[in-house]
Order: sequence, then structure tokens, then C-alpha cells
Amino acid sequence: MRPGEYRALVVFAALAALPFVPGMSRYYLLLAFDALLFGTIAMSLDLLMGYTGLVSFGHAAFYGLGAYATAVLLERGYTSLPLCLAFSIVVVGLYAAVVAYFATARRGIYFALLTLIFAEVIYTIFRYTQTFGGSDGIQGLPDAHFWPGVPIETAMQKYYLVLGYLVFAYVVCRVLVASHFGRVLVAIRENEERARFLGYDVQRYKMVVCVISALLTGLAGAIYPMRSAFATPDLMVWTESGEFIISVMIGGIGTLVGPIIGGAFFTILRDKVSSYVDWYFIVIGLVLIFIVLVMPKGLLGIRRLFRRTVEA
Amino acid sequence: MDYLVAILLPQLLHGLVFGAALGLLALGLTVIFGLLGVMNFAHGELYMLGAYAGIATIGLTQSFWVALIAAPLLVGALGVVTEVTTLRPLYHREPLYGLILTFGLALVFREGARQIWGGEIRRVMPPVTGSTDMLGMTYPNYRLFLLAISSMLLLAIWLFFTKTRAGILVRAAVQDAEMLDGLGVNVPRVFTFSFAGSAALAALAGLLLAPIFTVYPQMGVEMILLAFIVVILGGMGSMGGSVVAAFVIGITQSLLTLWMNPQRVAIAIFGIMILVLIVRPRGFFGREGVLE
Repeated sequence: MRPGEYRALVVFAALAALPFVPGMSRYYLLLAFDALLFGTIAMSLDLLMGYTGLVSFGHAAFYGLGAYATAVLLERGYTSLPLCLAFSIVVVGLYAAVVAYFATARRGIYFALLTLIFAEVIYTIFRYTQTFGGSDGIQGLPDAHFWPGVPIETAMQKYYLVLGYLVFAYVVCRVLVASHFGRVLVAIRENEERARFLGYDVQRYKMVVCVISALLTGLAGAIYPMRSAFATPDLMVWTESGEFIISVMIGGIGTLVGPIIGGAFFTILRDKVSSYVDWYFIVIGLVLIFIVLVMPKGLLGIRRLFRRTVEA
Repeated sequence: MDYLVAILLPQLLHGLVFGAALGLLALGLTVIFGLLGVMNFAHGELYMLGAYAGIATIGLTQSFWVALIAAPLLVGALGVVTEVTTLRPLYHREPLYGLILTFGLALVFREGARQIWGGEIRRVMPPVTGSTDMLGMTYPNYRLFLLAISSMLLLAIWLFFTKTRAGILVRAAVQDAEMLDGLGVNVPRVFTFSFAGSAALAALAGLLLAPIFTVYPQMGVEMILLAFIVVILGGMGSMGGSVVAAFVIGITQSLLTLWMNPQRVAIAIFGIMILVLIVRPRGFFGREGVLE
């Protein structure tokens, strides 16, 4: 193991011990759930933003579709966790394949806009079609089950579910980035023409990484209703996609770990500030502006800055 | 014939009116896009602030006409402050940072408006009332006024961009800011001026449309996507294209509402957009290869 991997192991071990910290309440465990879930999504988006150089403005749709896939099953009494996850993979995968096929044909701002508009179509359909509950979404869902007879009902179970998923997604991303496939993605980010001249089918690489990123986000969505007991169209509004992008930037683009921290930071900031003042969006907006202006490398960037001064 | 006069014609006019106002909004967005290389996410909020600044002025002076002058000035001033303090440091950075910065600005503006004016829906009384009989139908005077003033503004902007030195400098900055800098022009000042102008136009559109639509803090978010679509359809960075596309989208949307409910119309517009992006991403008048 390299030092970086040891560090990840330590962090995950610390996270696993979190429920046993004295004074840990149900409220804080569920907040930790939200933070880790948001972090996982930001990390999957970082595969696209940081490693391939594609900014997706439509990740909320993958997230929301995953959530609705679970919600539809739970509503009808199918409460098996593997079944919910499998169904989400199918639903999100099909949609992601279509979006990836068309969006990767274009670059830069056009890619961002194509993903945005596809996501808005999905949002509009779910928001205004009564089949899926319209603007109220699907509410009051029963608990999911790990397997028959073992419900996911306590905050601690839910927390370990999301932590397990975070570790899984992190390993997938790490392996992917370190592989030959990941190297090609970076090559595409740095110079797409050259990658093409070297004989790589650039669009196919982009499509595959898009679908992988979408599936990781969709699975996070599939887990969400198991904690909240609802799925609403608000999960797929385009501003939600904006919040994912922001989390990546806050944490540090192209680092995988950074976006996890960024997503968690963003969630906790939103929760903490909103419990004190009701104008928390102003605070979040100002934090965002501050980060762009003063520390463009994100939270991880500070650490690097610090290390450089120590070494020098 | 009756169908034509009673239904089709008014709807067509509605589209024209909406298209003209949309053109004001999209024009500013296009200019900023050309300068910064990003979509300004806060543009919808400037549109919303225009409507609220108008309401505040009307509350003080009881006059829509004073508001029509004060609102763009106030929002334009906000534009100057915003540009100098937040956008200027980003000139030489990745466009992505501009995107995120404007997203943050949008959050601050939207929530700020909700804190100051509350979240409830407000209405603005049209300054021109009554309706006119024309072409065998009756049409509200305010909409005719809106069409006239928007068209005049669009014409004035066109003259500004083609006939005045300041307008030509802005166009040059959109094309190649570095070259302009090399020629000894104070580029940051051109940027600040453009941002303020684009903010003022958005504010005007917001106030002009307020008597037809309603005013609430989220109104910008709902409008901005349509404005983005207009900008893409017209060809990013092409000002004339934006105006043409605004009319096309305005008319298409209002004609489609004859046969579909508003949600289907939205999906149809998105569908058209996806098609354009795939088949001809540079839109009507965009230069080939730019940002593709």
C-alpha cells in the first residue's frame, strides 16, 4: 500500500467509529449520512470534471432517477435492498446511456448544456406527471431491508449503509483513475486531438466514464429514500446539479478525496447555518464566492499550500 | 377565418411581445458570454432584481415611468460593483471559475431579495390600461406598448453596437479582448461597462414583463433556462442571432400553447434545443468551430 492509501484507510476507520463517539445523537448520525452521500456524489462527478474535463450540469437527474427507482419499489412493498439497487442501475443506466451518447458528441459548454437540458426534461416530466406524485413526489415510504427480516431502520444502520457505499465508490474511482482507462481520460482532458491521433476512440471513452459517473450518482440516489422515506422532483432541479459542481470545487477538483470533503462540508454548512439563520443561502453564496476568489484549489489546496511552505 | 382572427392572431402577437422582451434578456447574456466565456447564472437574478427595484420605486413615487428609469440604473450600478469586486479578479482564470462565481452570486441575490421583499407573489399594475381594436380583434394596450418599447430598445442597441465607438469597443472585446488590450484600450473598463449594461437590460426586461407575469424571488431561475436556450439557438456570441432566436422561441412557445399544456410546451422546447445542439451546435448565426 502506498502512503495515500493508508491515509484513506485511517479516514474510513475513523468514519466507521463515528457512531460510537460519546454524545452522538440520531440527528448527527443522519446529518453524517447526508454529508457522506453528498460527498459520494461529488466524487463521482469529479471523475468527469476533474479527470476527463467534462462539466455535467445534469447529475441531479441521475440522482433523482435513482431515488425514484427505489421509491417506486418501496411504495409497492418490494423492500429488498439488492432489488432496489439493481432496479436503479437499470433505470439510471438506460437514461445515462442515452444522455452520454448524445452529450459526448459535443465538448465544453455544449456538453454542459446538453446534460442540463436532458435533466430538465426528466425534471419536467416527474414534476408535472401525476403518475409519480407530481410536485409532492412519493412520500411515506416503508423501510428497506438488507434481506428479508432485517430492516434498515436505525440511524446507525443507515449510516453504515452509506459509509459502505462510499468506500465501494471510492475504491471503484481509485482503481479506475489508476488504470490505463483513467490515464486515457486524463490524456483526453489535456489534449483531445492528440489522444485521438494516438488511436483512442475518444468518444467511447467519454461515454463509458459518463455512464460510470452517472451510475455511481444514481446508486447514491437509490440509497437516499431509505433514509428520508421520500423522493421528490426537487432532487432533480438543475440547481441541485449546481450544488454538486460546487462541492467538487470547494473540495478540490481532480482529487477524488477533495470532493468528498467538499460535499460533506457543503451539507454540514447548509445544515448548521440554516439552523441559526433563515438566510443561509446568502452565507453559502458568499462562501462560494470567497472560495473562487481566494482559494481556487479548494480545501485540499490549502493543505498543499501549507505543505509546500514547510518543505521549502 | 374566425379561428385565425380570434385565436391564432392574438397568440402570434403574444409570442412577438414575449419574444421582444426575451430578446432584451438574451442580448445581455450573449455579450457577457462573449466576454467571459461562461453563461452568467446570475443574469436571471438581475432580471428579478429589476422587477423588485421597480416595485420599490413605484412604492416611493407612485410612478411606473420613474421606475422604468430608476430600475435599470439601480441594477446597473449593482452590476458595476459586482463586476469590479468579483469578476475582475477572474479574467485570466479558467472559465469554470466564472460559472461557479455567478452561481454563488445568484444565490446571494435571490435570497437577498427574499429577505428584503418576502417570498410572496407580487403584482405590478400596468401603466397603460384598456385595449385597442385592431385587425378585427381586441388587444391589450400594455402589450402593444411593451412590443413598441422593446423593439425601440433593440433598435437603439443595434445602433449603439454599429454606430458608436463604445459599442464597437464592446464588440471588439467580445471577439478578442487580448488584441484589444494590445491596442491600448482599457479592457477592464469595457468589461465593467458591458456587465453593467447587460444588468440594466435584464432589469428592464424584468420590470417590463412584471405587469404581464408576476414577481417573486424565483422568477429569474425559471426564466434563465429559456434565455440560455435563446442564446444557444442564436449562436453563442452572436448578438443578432440572439434577437432572432428570441422571437423564434417566443412565437413558437406561444403558438404551441394552443395545442399543448405548458409542461408539454416546455418539453417540446427542450426537444428542439437538444436537436439543435446535436445537429447544428453553433445555432443560427454562430461562427463555425467556436467552442464546439
